Amino acid sequence: MISLLLAFAVGSLFACGAYMIMRRGQIKLILGLGLLSHGVNLLLFGSGRLAEGRPPIFLDKDSYAETIAWSLPADPLPQALILTAIVISFGITAFVIVLVNRRHTITATDYVHGEFVPLLKEGDPFDFSEPSEIDQYDWLAYEVDEVYDSDEPLSGMPPRPPSEHDESAAMEEDNYQWP
Amino acid sequence: MAVSANLLAAPVAAPLLIAALILLLARWGGRRLIRHQIALTALALCFNFAVALLIFQATAGQGERLVLQMGAWSAPYGITVYGDGLSATLLLLTALVALAVYPFAVATIDYHRARMGFHPLYLFLLMGVNGAFLSGDLFNLYVFFEVLLMASFVLLTIGAQPAQTNSGIRYVVLNLLASTVFLVAAGIAYGTLGTLNMAQIAERLPLASPAVRTLFAGLLLVGFGSKAAIFPLFFWLPASYHTPPPAVTALFGGLLTKVGVYTLFRSFTLFFPELLISWQPTLLTIAGATMLVGALGALAQPGIRRVLSFHIISHVGFMLMGLAVALSGNKLAIGFGLGAAVLYLCHHMIIKTALIMAGGAVELHMGSDRLASIGGLVTRHPFLAFLFFMAAISLAGVPPFSGFVSKLSLLQITLDTRHWLVSGVSIFASLLTMLNMMRLWRESFWGDYKRPSRVPTRILQSSLRQRLMLTPIAVLVLLSLGLGILGGPAFRLSMRVAQQALDRQAYIDAVSPAATFSTKPPSHFVPTTATVPTFLTENAADLARSPFVPSP
Repeated sequence: MISLLLAFAVGSLFACGAYMIMRRGQIKLILGLGLLSHGVNLLLFGSGRLAEGRPPIFLDKDSYAETIAWSLPADPLPQALILTAIVISFGITAFVIVLVNRRHTITATDYVHGEFVPLLKEGDPFDFSEPSEIDQYDWLAYEVDEVYDSDEPLSGMPPRPPSEHDESAAMEEDNYQWP
Repeated sequence: MAVSANLLAAPVAAPLLIAALILLLARWGGRRLIRHQIALTALALCFNFAVALLIFQATAGQGERLVLQMGAWSAPYGITVYGDGLSATLLLLTALVALAVYPFAVATIDYHRARMGFHPLYLFLLMGVNGAFLSGDLFNLYVFFEVLLMASFVLLTIGAQPAQTNSGIRYVVLNLLASTVFLVAAGIAYGTLGTLNMAQIAERLPLASPAVRTLFAGLLLVGFGSKAAIFPLFFWLPASYHTPPPAVTALFGGLLTKVGVYTLFRSFTLFFPELLISWQPTLLTIAGATMLVGALGALAQPGIRRVLSFHIISHVGFMLMGLAVALSGNKLAIGFGLGAAVLYLCHHMIIKTALIMAGGAVELHMGSDRLASIGGLVTRHPFLAFLFFMAAISLAGVPPFSGFVSKLSLLQITLDTRHWLVSGVSIFASLLTMLNMMRLWRESFWGDYKRPSRVPTRILQSSLRQRLMLTPIAVLVLLSLGLGILGGPAFRLSMRVAQQALDRQAYIDAVSPAATFSTKPPSHFVPTTATVPTFLTENAADLARSPFVPSP
């Protein structure tokens, strides 16, 4: 009975997680990932067999063999697996939250040439249609110091970071020299 | 020379310790000691390469199997670290790729990203990849997958440019889903077989019910397959590989999908070799679709790196084709397909890394990788043009480069086993690859020189950085040439590696899980009368006469 309940719980966690991931909106994405990891944790828990009143350890070394013969001890390994999985999913969830927050900051507040330009389409990170100019290219943004031989204005460039991120200033301050 | 199994810990421990040391130094000495970080990282990479060479020489060269039981806890209880020819080959290539990409990364990664911890992350990624290759335990494999994924998440998004965060979310979510599927497979394995040790799973799986075997195999195929970017599961790759700096893309393109391919090779040959025959139509269909979709998708892409990342997918299809035909064919040629796939894997890791780095150099010179806005580099940078051309024709499979040998051997076994359709598809995909490479070459090197609107002058004006960028590409192209010219010995070596990987009984014996009370399967374990495949061991005498096996 209790294992049936566990199976339903795992199934509904997976279903809710999958549903949440497929919805638009980034907070729902995070919640969906959390639900999925809970579902897996519960599944791992069930993989160790649901036993009642069986200690996971033997206190008496001499009655070792009899204890095994009478009843198998509870399996402590799934708990260790779940603990590892929880730690990993905790770290990843934290990372995803920071990433989504960063993306939201860019979407909501970035300005190019003095006017508001929505750099990314709000809301749907899985929109694969028609990449914008900014989606094409910007890994050089920190490296491009000057634009030579060209009168054209910079197109599709994010604004230069303020002086806090200014690389040349940071380099001088750190006495950083290339060999 | 005998090699101690303790050496297997070094490829995981050394990058971890040195990365931790770098972080500590950054903590104490301020974040300004980038040069020290570079020196320490280079030290770790060289050490890792030397260790990988030693392990390769012992396992693939002399046919040993190195097994390290961590802390001397016997097999099902402790952590098993296992190295055989297949793992050692990948370990060596990983070390090579990491060592080759690093000078390029040093030359092109900006100070901002270096200060954010690029160099320790590089080592963490290496540690995760090495650990995944050496793991002898399903849950440890999961943990190392997560380690390398975490490092790759940060490497992908470091710098936090808009496109990077955008593609980062796609990459993170799709990879997390794949990890979840894999973890479900591990949970089911533990629940039904009562173990997570890979040797013990291999021992018990033939006795499990067919439903369990099919479910386990299907979940592993989905989980590992989406790491390897096979046909319906590859969407995370082209969505993200064009956004980070090219050094990161070169590293990812060389390493990440290959971990998925390795785990597919390992799990199918170790756990369910019989499925390689009964699932062969499915696997071949997936392989053909992967090749075709990758090559056709590349045709429609507007930028160098987008084209190259679609070609990664296409090439994974070739490797999967080799795996699918590994056990078919006559008994003397057992493992021919897998050997060809291993050779293809080596070729692919070497030349794809070189090509992405060459593409990155083009991007630096032109300020963009969009084919529409670049052109005419051949007169200004003839050496780069030469290297790019050599790498491109090697990828397309022109002799005498390694692409020719590996594609020829794959095609030969596929034709020998009478899979006409998939071999036709692979030839067509190779032609499309050729077409794409010619397109890249023509658009970026021929034509009128198009003046870039923005370029990183600090990088381009330093001749040292230029040399750091071009030398590793040249070395990798030379290696590809050498692999092509020495095709015979290389193929014999990869055949030996494949046959070692296919010998599952020897794997189980080498790890030798202890037979104690808790190795009994759980009480609801229902043994069936499934036939244990014996075709791998019954023909030892035939195999000894096989032309593919070098005489000892």
